[in-house]
Amino acid sequence: MTTAGGPSSSSLADVIDTILDKGLVIDAYVRVSLVGIELLTIDARVVVASVDTYLRFAEAANRLAIGSEPKGLSDLVSDVKGSGSTKSKTKGVLEGVGETLGELLGGSSGGEREPAPRRRQK
Amino acid sequence: MTSPEDTDDTEGAAASVIYVYAIVPADVQPEEDATGIHDAPIEIVTHGDIAALVSEIDPDHRLGTSADLQAHARILDGTSHVAPVLPLRFGAVVSDRDAVINELLAEHHDEFASALDELEGFAQYMIKGRYVEESIVREIVDESPKATALLESIRGQPEELTRDARMALGEIIGHALEAKRETDTRITLDALSPLTDTVTVREPTHDEDAVQIAILLEVDRQDALEQTVGELAARWDNRVTMRILGPMAPYDFVVRPKPEG
Repeated sequence: MTTAGGPSSSSLADVIDTILDKGLVIDAYVRVSLVGIELLTIDARVVVASVDTYLRFAEAANRLAIGSEPKGLSDLVSDVKGSGSTKSKTKGVLEGVGETLGELLGGSSGGEREPAPRRRQK
Repeated sequence: MTSPEDTDDTEGAAASVIYVYAIVPADVQPEEDATGIHDAPIEIVTHGDIAALVSEIDPDHRLGTSADLQAHARILDGTSHVAPVLPLRFGAVVSDRDAVINELLAEHHDEFASALDELEGFAQYMIKGRYVEESIVREIVDESPKATALLESIRGQPEELTRDARMALGEIIGHALEAKRETDTRITLDALSPLTDTVTVREPTHDEDAVQIAILLEVDRQDALEQTVGELAARWDNRVTMRILGPMAPYDFVVRPKPEG
């Protein structure tokens, strides 16, 4: 097996997205019961456009304008490259990339002991 | 969805029941110290060519904490590194170890074995993209004169006086996001198409989800996947944050085998 490292570290949200309602349903095969499942709060599993959502989007747009005229994308890009005032934004970009690469490489959980099963040598 | 028929504690001292994680090939062997839900040791119950990964669980102990969910996922995903896995849905239990064999493995031995054969060497990966809110909202406003005008009209005005304009602006953004999600999902699917044609597009679970795609891929080709998604991430730098999760169990690709006549 040539896989390097463990799986990317999934957040709880990722895990919920991934495992809920998925997998073989064994009670369709056999007589078993599902243990009473007391699920933690899951908000907005399916995105529904709502008043709240719209107001939130409007607020996000409104924040763009604070302290300046709305800018075109090209302005934004040159801003990120140039001035110091957008440092936090630039940093965010770099962190984003780092995170992506880290997860791509599956490195984030590499140090953990993998408690999962291994395969017996044939 | 719960079936509270938990009144069977009269039949002897059935202190615990058996939680079933997954069906795997019989040559899978749990690590000695592997633990699952509620820190119970992981065991394997084999029958012929197949086996079930299980652990004991107290039937009175409610399931569903984040730790429970993560333990379930950890066992399945960890196994998917080394062997094909048929994941069971979270929360599946049977009465005892014999029932694992008699009611689950024996009855479906051949279907499970052939499904595992097909999965050999493959695992699921999730490709997720999330819009960077500031960038995407700006992009949308810039592309829509109407949105730009609405934004002008609310700027500096008290919220209670501009509710209608805010709603209208938010609605434009919401619809534009949907369209962008569709476009960007298609772009991602096109980029992935040389790698696999076993693909499931998931519904968004967050307002700013750009892409949520599950694929079944040979684990040997993970490098190519990383490269492909890396290129998209570079192209969408500061617009969409791309992530790959996996290898994981093929949650999105197990379906009930059709009973053969």
